[in-house]
Amino acid sequence: MFPTRALFSRSVWKGPNIVPLPLPRKLPAPPGTPPIKTQKRSATILPNFVGLKFQVHNGKIYQDVVITEEMVGRKLGEFVATRKRFTYKQSKNK
Amino acid sequence: MVFILGVNFPERNLVKKSLESFFGIGNLTSTRLLARFHIHPTCKVGDLANKQVLDITAALSDMKIENDLRRQYLDNIKRLKETGTYRGRRHALGLPVRGQRTRSQVGLHPYLNISNYDTRGCWSTSLVDVVVGYYTKQEFY
Repeated sequence: MFPTRALFSRSVWKGPNIVPLPLPRKLPAPPGTPPIKTQKRSATILPNFVGLKFQVHNGKIYQDVVITEEMVGRKLGEFVATRKRFTYKQSKNK
Repeated sequence: MVFILGVNFPERNLVKKSLESFFGIGNLTSTRLLARFHIHPTCKVGDLANKQVLDITAALSDMKIENDLRRQYLDNIKRLKETGTYRGRRHALGLPVRGQRTRSQVGLHPYLNISNYDTRGCWSTSLVDVVVGYYTKQEFY
């Protein structure tokens, strides 16, 4: 029996997916630091990211994400949608 | 009629089944409770001694069942929604949360996702009710 299926998403021995990101030298970052632009959507949000501003790629553009305490342990990509909601576009020429 | 945790049970009901009628108690928990208080699995509610009823009620009141558990479920979903995660968004839309396909056969998800608990007023624990509800609603379309 499995305690929870969520544990099977990634092997425990690997640890969290730590990606080398260009974090600012001084934490907490002073105001005016540019947001961290990244395409690494699978990077795990670590506790020292809290309060930082990221720009995460959604496949087309880089969207702003401000990391809060609740987001720790999740992935960067979880907070940036990759899909557009379907909307019906009425065509003019029939 | 026997009172267990404020609910009236007819005397002819099985103790195990009566316990399982609480939200959050299933086969495993009810079996363990019966074993803890030395009650036979086929024991009826009417055959319980007064002390056993009190013991069961005391044990149940310590556990997280019924509305406390439902609130916990909803709080977990609410937290996902407020954090702005993908899972929270899928819950809000009433779509499958764990990466299932949506090209076909998404009909039951709005019923099975507990996020819709407050809109429906009650959350049916039995899958049969859910499926019946789904098909009766389909007829109206």
